[in-house]
Amino acid sequence: MSDTTLGVLLLGSAGLGADQDHQSTMYRPAFEAHPGFEVRPDTTRLDDPAVDVVSVCVEPDQRADAVIAALQAGKHVLVDKPLALTAADAAKVAAVAAETGRVCLPAHHQRFHPMIAAARGAVAGGKVGLPWNVQADFLVAGGTPSPAGELANFAVYPLDVVLALTGLRVRRVFARLSTHWGGGDADDFALLFLTHENGLTSTISVGRIRELADTRPAGLAVHRYRVSGSHGVLDIDASRPAVVLRRGEASSQTWHGPGTVDRLLDELRAAIVAGRPSSPSAADAVHVAEIVDAARASAASGAPVDLATDKEGSR
Amino acid sequence: MARHSVTDDTAPLGVIIVGAGFIADHHGAALRGSSRARLAGIVDVDAGRASAAATAAGGVPWSTDLAEALARPDVGAAIVCTPNLTHEPIALQIAAAGKHLLMEKPLTITVPSARAVVEAFDAAGTVVMAAHTHRFYDYARAVNDAIAGGAVGRPVFARLALLGGWIWPDWRAWVLDPAKSGGHALHNGVHLLDLVSWWLRDEPVSVYARGRAQTAAELRIYDYLEMHVRYAGGADAVCEMSRGHRPSTLDRRDVLVAGTDGVLQLPADGWGSTVVTESGTSLLHPQAANGFAVQLDAWLDAIADPAAERAMTPADAVRAVALGVAAELSIERGEPVTLDEVMGGVHA
Ligand SMILES: NC(=O)c1ccc[n+]([C@@H]2O[C@H](COP(=O)([O-])OP(=O)(O)OC[C@H]3O[C@@H](n4cnc5c(N)ncnc54)[C@H](O)[C@@H]3O)[C@@H](O)[C@H]2O)c1
Repeated sequence: MSDTTLGVLLLGSAGLGADQDHQSTMYRPAFEAHPGFEVRPDTTRLDDPAVDVVSVCVEPDQRADAVIAALQAGKHVLVDKPLALTAADAAKVAAVAAETGRVCLPAHHQRFHPMIAAARGAVAGGKVGLPWNVQADFLVAGGTPSPAGELANFAVYPLDVVLALTGLRVRRVFARLSTHWGGGDADDFALLFLTHENGLTSTISVGRIRELADTRPAGLAVHRYRVSGSHGVLDIDASRPAVVLRRGEASSQTWHGPGTVDRLLDELRAAIVAGRPSSPSAADAVHVAEIVDAARASAASGAPVDLATDKEGSR
Repeated sequence: MARHSVTDDTAPLGVIIVGAGFIADHHGAALRGSSRARLAGIVDVDAGRASAAATAAGGVPWSTDLAEALARPDVGAAIVCTPNLTHEPIALQIAAAGKHLLMEKPLTITVPSARAVVEAFDAAGTVVMAAHTHRFYDYARAVNDAIAGGAVGRPVFARLALLGGWIWPDWRAWVLDPAKSGGHALHNGVHLLDLVSWWLRDEPVSVYARGRAQTAAELRIYDYLEMHVRYAGGADAVCEMSRGHRPSTLDRRDVLVAGTDGVLQLPADGWGSTVVTESGTSLLHPQAANGFAVQLDAWLDAIADPAAERAMTPADAVRAVALGVAAELSIERGEPVTLDEVMGGVHA
């Protein structure tokens, strides 16, 4: 199978908000450029045997059902984030993924960032001893505010990274949601205070600063993680590695090698070829969705929310 | 009123230092460099410490009796550097003697006692200031200047981390006894809680804090603190204070402020130079103004003109205590604690 080319069906081009179209801007170009995948014409039917993988970007409220249908048709799935709008819907998807044994990879691609991927290995290898705290900032410059709010939209990325770095599930969530820049009703700033297994605590700030829309370089204004452990501290600046260019009109950064979405496809292919669940898995997306649900409840009540602990482990 | 008998425009103000321990030396050095004030004596309950410090300062008078020192007509003011629990009675004694006070932070370790101290100085007509020294450091002023200049618009999110290793003595240290220090949120947490509140120019509403006994499970204080403050205007702050980070040779100071118009950062690796040697990696701090000297000047300014705007007001000092108390209470309860609750509904 390692030599075979996997046929890809691109299903849907919707996102959170009218102009979010990750299918066209991220996944199609990545699949087209990645060896081992071949994008089938959009008219291809889901049950066509030439389709091995379905890349799902349908409307968020129909996404869980579309993923379930694809899995039940025997296809592997790459699904845009968020995998589902609620933890309950995400859990349904995860159950079908487990049942069918198909790969269901949520597009939490930031964990494949070269700085973060290296850090995951270092932490898991004990470089800082036993980790006991993580601090994270994920502040995006500009772009269109998500009508669903940035807790639903962006928080998935740093949450997934913190879970991947530590391997520790979250037990308790305290959160604050605010609207500082977006102008609408949706939150554009979230602060998440998480208490994990083994007493590890983490704090994540996530926001979209619309005022920085015209500054170059666009994208993440601040993206970093600090892992404190019993024997050391690891500072991860995900705006690096970078060759920094300064020119009259703006400064910018550049680097060589595959991007995070390309690396996500590496994982998709590797999991399919090996016949194993992907990492992250659908179960990981369930836990992220549980945290997002709890954060919403905590922000509304002003009190911390405990997650049920009787759920089976997601990793 | 005593103030008129002890300050005149020509002679430097006579200042005694009460509590000749670790931090007293910094105040002594600031006094040595000042033309407006002079070290007039040392008071410490420990005669050995008092006399040694007095000798080191060139033979100034020393005493184990504060009342005796305060009775001297050439003493107009005191800088108090004693354990936190003693701040309240010492402050009240100094107010009663009609002298001015620069009190090491925290002003006291409870809100009612902090208020009592401020009221006592109001009644005496003398100046009390709490030594929130970070307000007088270059880094904090650079951040404050930028915010004041509108660099980020209205600030809505501030992060401040002061992370270091163990600097305290052994198990006998008073700092490790919450009854004597008030706990780490009152001992060191107040530095950060005060600073971010100053930067954000907003009134704190509630505190959610988490503490960790990192260096040893048997610690009765939290050597690592994380404190979230919510403000009336909608802003948030996250403060981390640590004495539990390793290695202790590499301390971190990290600032991030996001506002309606932009973001400013003083990244942990953005200040100081990194020195890598055979014995490890450390930070070489940049040359900077002596915060203790700048603070001394601000206090002397307030004494010279009590009506002028102050760098650190008594209300600021009470608020810092309230934030520290709220943080300790929040850790105990695992829930946010409102300032209303710890201030008894009355804001300073
Ligand atoms: N501003 C800062 O950056 C900073 C830094 C460290 C400490 N501090 C503060 O300074 C104060 C002192 O801390 P330290 O680390 O120097 O303590 P320390 O233990 O080194 O010194 C305290 C001294 O006070 C003396 N003392 C105790 N009770 C006394 C009393 N009733 N009357 C007179 N003397 C008494 C002790 O004998 C000792 O010499 C504390 O309030 C602390 O919070 C401030």
